[in-house]
Amino acid sequence: MRVFIDLWWFFKREKRSYLLGILMLILVSILSLAPPYVVGVVVDAIVEETLTLEILMGWLGLLFLIGIACYMLRYVWRIMIFGASIRLARLLRNWLYEHFTNMSASFYQRYKTGDLMAHATNDIRAVQQTAGAGVLTLVDSLTMGGFVIVTMAVTISWELTLISLIPMPFMALLTSYYGSLLHKRFRKAQAAFSSLNDKVQESVSGIRVTKTFGQEQEDIESFKEESDDVVKKNLRVARVDALFDPTISLIIGISYFLAIFFGAGYVINGTITLGELTSFTIYLGLLIWPLLAFGWLFNIVERGRASYGRISELLAEKADITDEEATQSEPPQGEIDVWINSYHYNSDDPPALRNIDFTVKRGETLGVAGRTGSGKTTLMKLLMREEEGVTGHVKMDSKPLQEYTLDALRASISYVPQDQFLFSATIADNIAFPKPEASMADIMKVAKMAHVHHDIIGFKEGYDTVVGERGVTLSGGQKQRIAIARALLLDPEILIFDDSLSAVDAQTEESILETLRTERDGKTTIITAHRLSAIKHADLILILADGDIAEQGDHQSLMKRRGWYSQMYKQQQLESYVEKGGGMDGTRG
Amino acid sequence: MEHEDRQLTPKEQTAILKRLLGYALPHKKLLSVAFLFLMLGTAAELIGPLLIQTFIDDFLTPRNFPVDALTALATAYIVLHVSSVFFNYFQGYWFHKIALEIVRRMRIQVFSHVEHLGLSFFDRTATGGIISRLTNDTERVKELYVNVLSLLVQDLVFLVGIFIAMFYLNPQLAFFCLFLLPLVYALMYVYRKFSAKYYGTMSGKLSELNARLNESIQGMSIIQIFRQERRMRKEFSELNQEHHSAWMKGMKLDGLLLRPAVDFLSILALMLVLAFFGLLSFTSPVEIGVLYAFVNYLDRFFEPVNQIMSRLSIFQQAIVSAGRVFKLLDHEEPAPSKSLAGNPTIERGQVEFDGVTFSYDGETNVLTDISFSVSPGETLALVGHTGSGKSSIINLLMRFYEPDKGEIRIDGEPLGKFDDEELRTRLGLVLQDPFMFSGDVKSNIRMYNDKITDEEVYQAAQFVDANRFIKNLPGGYDHPVGERGGTFSSGERQLIAFARTMVMQPDILVLDEATANVDTETEEVIQRALEQMKEGRTTVAIAHRLSTIKNANRILVLHQGKIVEDGTHDNLLANGGLYYNMYLLQQGMNQQMISSSSS
Repeated sequence: MRVFIDLWWFFKREKRSYLLGILMLILVSILSLAPPYVVGVVVDAIVEETLTLEILMGWLGLLFLIGIACYMLRYVWRIMIFGASIRLARLLRNWLYEHFTNMSASFYQRYKTGDLMAHATNDIRAVQQTAGAGVLTLVDSLTMGGFVIVTMAVTISWELTLISLIPMPFMALLTSYYGSLLHKRFRKAQAAFSSLNDKVQESVSGIRVTKTFGQEQEDIESFKEESDDVVKKNLRVARVDALFDPTISLIIGISYFLAIFFGAGYVINGTITLGELTSFTIYLGLLIWPLLAFGWLFNIVERGRASYGRISELLAEKADITDEEATQSEPPQGEIDVWINSYHYNSDDPPALRNIDFTVKRGETLGVAGRTGSGKTTLMKLLMREEEGVTGHVKMDSKPLQEYTLDALRASISYVPQDQFLFSATIADNIAFPKPEASMADIMKVAKMAHVHHDIIGFKEGYDTVVGERGVTLSGGQKQRIAIARALLLDPEILIFDDSLSAVDAQTEESILETLRTERDGKTTIITAHRLSAIKHADLILILADGDIAEQGDHQSLMKRRGWYSQMYKQQQLESYVEKGGGMDGTRG
Repeated sequence: MEHEDRQLTPKEQTAILKRLLGYALPHKKLLSVAFLFLMLGTAAELIGPLLIQTFIDDFLTPRNFPVDALTALATAYIVLHVSSVFFNYFQGYWFHKIALEIVRRMRIQVFSHVEHLGLSFFDRTATGGIISRLTNDTERVKELYVNVLSLLVQDLVFLVGIFIAMFYLNPQLAFFCLFLLPLVYALMYVYRKFSAKYYGTMSGKLSELNARLNESIQGMSIIQIFRQERRMRKEFSELNQEHHSAWMKGMKLDGLLLRPAVDFLSILALMLVLAFFGLLSFTSPVEIGVLYAFVNYLDRFFEPVNQIMSRLSIFQQAIVSAGRVFKLLDHEEPAPSKSLAGNPTIERGQVEFDGVTFSYDGETNVLTDISFSVSPGETLALVGHTGSGKSSIINLLMRFYEPDKGEIRIDGEPLGKFDDEELRTRLGLVLQDPFMFSGDVKSNIRMYNDKITDEEVYQAAQFVDANRFIKNLPGGYDHPVGERGGTFSSGERQLIAFARTMVMQPDILVLDEATANVDTETEEVIQRALEQMKEGRTTVAIAHRLSTIKNANRILVLHQGKIVEDGTHDNLLANGGLYYNMYLLQQGMNQQMISSSSS
């Protein structure tokens, strides 16, 4: 029940809805007591032959009015209570989203997307149910249950009430027990289903290999095994699920039996009338729901509490990169000074970078190369302050990055990421992402600069083509060039290419770089690459190896050194010629 | 294959439902038993109030209490009740079980169907869609069976049972009670009509909302670096608001037409019963027990009604899902297979293309009049731009696609004569993207084939020199391979893919060389492995490596789907054609670089 205290702030905030809703629930409970009473009165009148048409019509009219009133009250409390719970879901969802947008990269390394999604869907649903169905079951089981029992005891017979109620607590206990058992088994069934999902995912993605080896039948067999497991786990759910109705029916049956058996005795000795006995059994029927609700309440609250705990924990996460020390709100201009004694992601890990020392003047181009894992991306992250905490310093315009507000810093940096992430939106929207108000002319201009304009107008819907699962599938090169156009739209002071030319062919790469050189005159550009042709024109080239600078200089001086750079450069030149077949039809243009 | 948001016509819905019900046929036996239990359970449950009625009218009202008769009545009540519990437990469980079995069969059927579709289907269709058909949509069908259809059967039997009991007690009143049916039906009809719309919008908005959230989480660094947090928040909260409004609408509809409305109906029913007996009592004596039983029955009547109505929205969605599944199931696009008589085997490994022309879409030819032949044991290198047709040649040779014109022969026999089994085991294809399956290293080399012994797996790995790195893994050959083999480097994945192919000891090797850069040490291992693999085998290779090209017995230079040059390395050099030019260029580059770096 502690979750109700945890959610107290929300109940307070929605005071009106909850108070009104609960009031109506109570009214409905009271009104529900009337029909059984009416039945009892009419039965007695029939037995005693005192019933007249007027009396009958009077009672029927009353029933009708009660029916109408209940209908309206039931409608309104739903709007009040369930409506408020839906607003809670909306609120939490907005909060989570806002919180996500404030979190730094380390947060996203700690939490998997799938888990975050689960919090934002399942957990919110569980909390919403607590604020809706949870409140309903709590109020209903207490008021309705209480009223019915009191009415039975006071107006008919407290002895008979006690006797008939003996089996009822078992129903609440058992259904609550089944509920939690069901929930556990259900989760296992869900896990089996998600493993089936993984299997399907793998089979469909790996279909070419499967077909190459003619292993379709074997793959189907292994799918069958997974399906069998899903059925097995679900059957375990079914076994519990099937218990609910028979158990309820059994316990109610016993209750009725006790009521009739002992009630008959009271009728015979004249303690109660036949009509009262009839009312009594109907009241018993009215008790089923509050008792079920009571059992149900525990499950809802249990789940709601766990879920709300997880959501609160998530919301309590602090961003580790903040504006705390910021004094500068003017964006820097692109003079970079880096001296990293060492940098660790975690204090236990070996350093990801060490002894990095270089400066880039405004308007210069920095090229960074090295094998996968040599620290290129880490260096870029530090420059963008996506990560921080070096011993040493990372400065722009001679001021440490922490002195700039994130907003100011980001205003001068534009970035083309390695993984070519695009949103499921039109190509135009994707390019205009950093500046939604950009004109079509601007968008086309940068698309041309990124050499993707021709690809785009080749699509049936041109710039309005939707990207992603529901739209066209773009090649890696096209995605990369759209991401480049997106970054260029801001005409940033500092432009960072993180291995962003890997999927475009050498000729296009050369043209894009050429465009950059002319268009970005006087502005700083940073390029990391596997393919050295992308950085050979840079003013300064750093070769990283295991987090260290292994070689540095410009193209000429590095070629002279005959080290890793010159070796790789030659090898790549050769390979690209062969790969393209470019040399072969070179004569045609 | 894409999502269709259009509404299905009632006729289509009926057809889909009929087809779905067809899946229950193989379970006739258990279904009959479950149905029998359902009837028995329902009967036992519904006889209870009749016994109480007998007690009230025959014994309690006349104050007549013969011990034997009463004991018998009480015993009967208890026995009936316990047996109804027993019957109902099993029928409930069995219906659930049948539903699960049906969905399993359907899933396997769809999966097998998909697995046997031609590669052309997979090349054209987004993977996400196929996966969604196989998982989410079949899961919806499961919901339909478990939560809707089986409950519907149970509830309908219960409702019929109630009416039978009521007719038995008092046909006249029971007849009046029939008026409830059109009311209930009208309620359902109206509810279904609106709920389909409201809940459709709501679930559409919800999936939009979740998609947006998912995408934002994945692209958060982009959102932040471009400072679009505020805009994204605003857009999200607008979408959240739209979802909220749709949800509220649905909830209001539920409030108007579901439980509150049904509860109102039950008050009407109670009024009817009281009016009937009240009016009757003016003219003739009334059996209170019958009144009691009626009130009791009508009370039970409305629970199933509530249940059916609350499940109606699931029904709608599941039918749409089932429609999509059936559409995929009806999609015929079989993989090309043996089409000619005969049963040749591949002995020598001679490959021949004879005037082959091919297009994927029937409009633009990606290959035009390709003819060449590779003698047993020789290596053919295919060289050319992306899109020049290299991959298509391999697709045709592997019989993933069929040529529009011309013939492909192996050992002089047309490709159409070979069994799938023969082609798949004698032709070893090494793909550019070495896809890894979850399992362990061994299972990734053996690929489900139980005939391959562990010893053979080790030999194959040794043969391609993958042995060394595998041995160093924790657990060696039993080292687990996670999703997509993410823990292996691309070079290691390639070596495993090599071993996977070599373990079958194919006669013809088909190579699609990877362009991706592998670090130099692994690259050397890979080159050596490739040399080993080609030894004594006919090899057709899409070549990116200079070594592969130089050592080839023959090189085909492709451009826009045509062979523009054809010959051996020396040959092509001597001819002074394009290849020669290219080679000179490379040499020149070499010279230039050496001189520039030494100067």
